[in-house]
Amino acid sequence: MNPRTRKALEFVLDNLVWFMLLFVLVVFSIFVPNYFQLGIFANIIEASSVLGVMSIGLALVIIAGHMDLSVESVAALSAMAVGILFCSSGIGMGVQLHPEWLMVPVSLLLALAVGGIIGAFNGYLVVKVKMSAFIITLASYIWVRGLVLVVSGGRSAQDLAPAIRWFGIQRLVGLPLTAWIAVGCFVVFSLIMAKTPFGRHLVMIGGNETATFRAGIRVNRNLVIAFVLAGAIAGLAGWLLAIRTSGATANLGVGLLFNAFAAVVIGGVSLKGGVGTLPGVYAGVLLLSAINTAINLMGLPANFTQVIHGLLVLAAVLLDAFKQTIRQRLA
Amino acid sequence: MNEPLLVLDNVTKNYGAIEALKGISFSIGKGEVVALLGDNGAGKSTLVKIIAGGLEPTSGRMLFEGKEFLARTPAEAKAAGIETVYQDLSLCTNVDVVANFFMGREITRKVLGIPVLDERAMEAVVGKALASAGTRIPSLRTNVEHLSGGQRQAIELNRFVHWGGKLVLLDEPFAALGVEQTRRGLDMIRQVANQGIGVVIITHIMQQAFQVADRIVVIRQGVVAGDVARNKTSPDAVINMITGETLAGAGPAG
Repeated sequence: MNPRTRKALEFVLDNLVWFMLLFVLVVFSIFVPNYFQLGIFANIIEASSVLGVMSIGLALVIIAGHMDLSVESVAALSAMAVGILFCSSGIGMGVQLHPEWLMVPVSLLLALAVGGIIGAFNGYLVVKVKMSAFIITLASYIWVRGLVLVVSGGRSAQDLAPAIRWFGIQRLVGLPLTAWIAVGCFVVFSLIMAKTPFGRHLVMIGGNETATFRAGIRVNRNLVIAFVLAGAIAGLAGWLLAIRTSGATANLGVGLLFNAFAAVVIGGVSLKGGVGTLPGVYAGVLLLSAINTAINLMGLPANFTQVIHGLLVLAAVLLDAFKQTIRQRLA
Repeated sequence: MNEPLLVLDNVTKNYGAIEALKGISFSIGKGEVVALLGDNGAGKSTLVKIIAGGLEPTSGRMLFEGKEFLARTPAEAKAAGIETVYQDLSLCTNVDVVANFFMGREITRKVLGIPVLDERAMEAVVGKALASAGTRIPSLRTNVEHLSGGQRQAIELNRFVHWGGKLVLLDEPFAALGVEQTRRGLDMIRQVANQGIGVVIITHIMQQAFQVADRIVVIRQGVVAGDVARNKTSPDAVINMITGETLAGAGPAG
């Protein structure tokens, strides 16, 4: 095989999920009536912002060779914290700050802090107690959701302060600011993972933790940071979720975790760790969103979504194995 | 040879009730190559891990360049100038050759105050290092998982030659290498020692030890069973020390 074909083939393999996304968009545009519209594409991006942000954090810890099942519940708790403070009806306390815009940084910091603290707790236990991240974050998934129910009493908060809601309403080039926040997060974290020593170290830790420890990389420190980031990013997802629904309910975001997993796996991140990139994950998120949109447009019952997502995850895993065999031939 | 670089003074290590090391004392000079020999389970790898910062000794002390020394982590040992090549390779197969070469020591440049990997600079350094060692790898951007065992070991060996430091520990570094590569590896060791770097090499192959070492230290059942200059002993005498037919602490034989 000449180097040129080989390079082209490697490029396709590296960006397979983007090609899949393109393929799906073309197929839907041809066969689904009304699919081919700018508004629909904007909607695909918009609808994927919460899931996208959450997937970033999940992808970080999975690439580092661990797991964070708690992101969904953490997002819900952050959303609930923002909702309780800054909503004016339901269980909302309707806290007012002057000037009004001050509520934006305060609510954002609150959401990030709630997520970061739980992330730090997870990371500490994983690193110090050396327990499986799966079990620890499964526990967090349960108790944090429990905490949401406790603080809300099972009720909901509505009517988020307009100053915060502004992010969900104000549009820039056809997309609400919340969607731009998600896109910005992907850009920033993609750069961090690909271009900085920290990102490089996370990938290597996911590949061979012993080797990185021997090489003098501070493995524990990096892992705790990864968990804190995953928590804080989940907090941001919660903030976006609160804006999107203009409040918070006790069962906010239920099921998002599995969508995030699906997006991460479809995006080419290996659950074994050390493999995957964030742009791929974003393509995975968009792919899920594109399919959802098609299902809506075709008027299929929404229940089909889950079946299709499940099959898609299965396809992604099979595809990953297939890619491995091709790569081995290439080498 | 001359002033000692590292001195081990009665170093012991217990795993619970098991005494892996019962009191090891020997020294390594600057620019000296010491071959560490011993049967399986004699405690060689344990000893290497203690020097390299992977394990803490139960008792005893070490002097590095005349100063009290104890590395709690590999990072501390590295900072002091001790490089280690482990028996099971320490490479991350999911990243490329360049990333492995610079693991934990990446060259960065600041962009808006944020450290950013300087890939081009790193690739240039790796290309030069591998070329001067005569190692051929098709692409430095290939992930290590696609390379052969020999190529992997070559990367690891080139890595220690490049970083040097003051003392190098090699735990069976040639296990996956062919004849020609082994010869080149042994040359590398001499070359490193000629720069004044101390080298400790663990090997099972008597011939290698006699080819490269200045001194041969035999460990048996957690104690030093022999510590002799290479030119004052013979393979047979060393084998006797390893298997225990010669008394512990025996000097030159044969």
